[in-house]
Amino acid sequence: MIEVKNLTMKYPSGKGIFDLNFFVNQGEVMGYLGPNGAGKTTTIRALLGFMKPNNGTAAIGGMDCWYKATEIQKALGYIPGEINFLDGMSGDEFLKFMHDMRKTKDISFQKQLLEMFELNPKGKIKKFSKGMKQKLGIVTAFMHNPDVLILDEPTSGLDPLMQNRFVDLLLSEKAKGKTILMSSHMFEEVEKTCDNVLIIKDGRIVKQSDVQTLKITQRKGYILKTTDINSLAQALQSENFEIGSIHNNSVEVFVSAHNVDRLIKTAANFTITHFDIKVQTLEDIFMQFYGQEEKSR
Amino acid sequence: MSITLFKTTLKKNWILLLIFISVLLLYTLEMTLIYDPENMEALTSMLKVFPEELMKAMGFSDLVTDLTAYLASWLYGMLMFAFPMIYCIILGNKLVAKTVDNGSISYLLSTPNSRVKIIVTQGIYAILSVAVLFTALFSISVLICEAKFPDLLDIGAYFKLNVTTMLVNTAVMMVTFFFSCLFNDSKYSFLFGAGIPIMFLLMNMLGGISKDAEFLKKISIYGWYDPVKLVRGKDYFNLNMLFIGIIIVLFIASVLVFKRKRLPI
Repeated sequence: MIEVKNLTMKYPSGKGIFDLNFFVNQGEVMGYLGPNGAGKTTTIRALLGFMKPNNGTAAIGGMDCWYKATEIQKALGYIPGEINFLDGMSGDEFLKFMHDMRKTKDISFQKQLLEMFELNPKGKIKKFSKGMKQKLGIVTAFMHNPDVLILDEPTSGLDPLMQNRFVDLLLSEKAKGKTILMSSHMFEEVEKTCDNVLIIKDGRIVKQSDVQTLKITQRKGYILKTTDINSLAQALQSENFEIGSIHNNSVEVFVSAHNVDRLIKTAANFTITHFDIKVQTLEDIFMQFYGQEEKSR
Repeated sequence: MSITLFKTTLKKNWILLLIFISVLLLYTLEMTLIYDPENMEALTSMLKVFPEELMKAMGFSDLVTDLTAYLASWLYGMLMFAFPMIYCIILGNKLVAKTVDNGSISYLLSTPNSRVKIIVTQGIYAILSVAVLFTALFSISVLICEAKFPDLLDIGAYFKLNVTTMLVNTAVMMVTFFFSCLFNDSKYSFLFGAGIPIMFLLMNMLGGISKDAEFLKKISIYGWYDPVKLVRGKDYFNLNMLFIGIIIVLFIASVLVFKRKRLPI
């Protein structure tokens, strides 16, 4: 459904995206991950037809994203990374305006979405909080039931409850057979919704994998506290666990999913006073991938 | 053209237009009220207290006595393009560059409406709004004149004067519109879209002061016609055609540059 071939788009600064190749099948949800400035939004600009590529092509539903942008928009939903609505409109005026611009009339799904995200679109958008604006952006992107959705960090500014609602929405859209490309900073969100993941860094795709593999290879950090920290550290070391840091009476261990059982059994010989999972930031995950990349070179 | 977008643009910008219509009508009213067909000398001598250069720069001519030429000189010599110029600068910049700068145009472009359609709609609004401005000014000022000085105004000549003035202002509107379409950064759009018309205005003023600087007036778009000669019968048909040509060329150029450019939104 979405097909990107040798896509290169350079900015005068020398940044940009270089020779990207990927495709998203119909009904597939693709996560698009990468640090800030890696080229996620640039890729999305090419897909929306906002910029003409220097080289290569981007196509949606077999239509070229630059030459057929208007045609493509008929069945496309888009959430911009930085949402800016038209000046001086109220929320419901904006929704009506978007329906008119798209020449769509059915507002049943719009109503459902507004309820789902508990958004009251009355009042000037300018006065909306960041979260409300984001919700309005979500409703706008989904309300006309498009076949393809391109979402640039769709949950930024949402509270955890609403992030979960969004995950539910994505899953139900996926069940309807929608094709979705979603850039994100939140690994958990991608983990819950996406089939496959692309990871981009410095304008190049450094990894493409399915989420299951990603989860298995993904190491997690565990923090263990015990009365006898030195013997625990020694025991873990002799079992070839990767030890991060040792503070006072706590030790940090990095374990991939299939070694968790071994960790627990090794630790069972000690009096554990505290057991915690270290929150993994996306950065940790990136570091892991980039680390692997470096090693494999 | 998109009717939906046109309505939204109108809704967002009609107050701006109304403000300029009101201000210009106020000036027209004031200028008409101080006109005294019996005693033009009193009026001209009153204005003699101002330096002569200033008067010339403003396009005021003290040789006129009839109402039509008086209005052509005192209103259409400068006010009727200096004020609308500000309107053009504000509106032109707002219609395109500002929406690209703040990214809100991404919402227009994420609907099945082409870039060409969106820019044509905004351009039509720009042109129509200048037309509405001059239609309102013309019709209301005719009413004012007829009420105060029945039959003194040469309505035919006054109409021609308004047509040419409207065309020069529309051409300036398209200059700012073009730069608004060309630049992604409203800072640059403003720099050129405001800078060039202001330069024309200053050149027209300086060119009026002395013979040595007259060439400045000739190269300024505002100096291509003489409003007093116009109402006295000089034919400016070719000039009107030239203005229309400039408007069309700039409109097409605006659409083409916008169609092709990269939008960092």
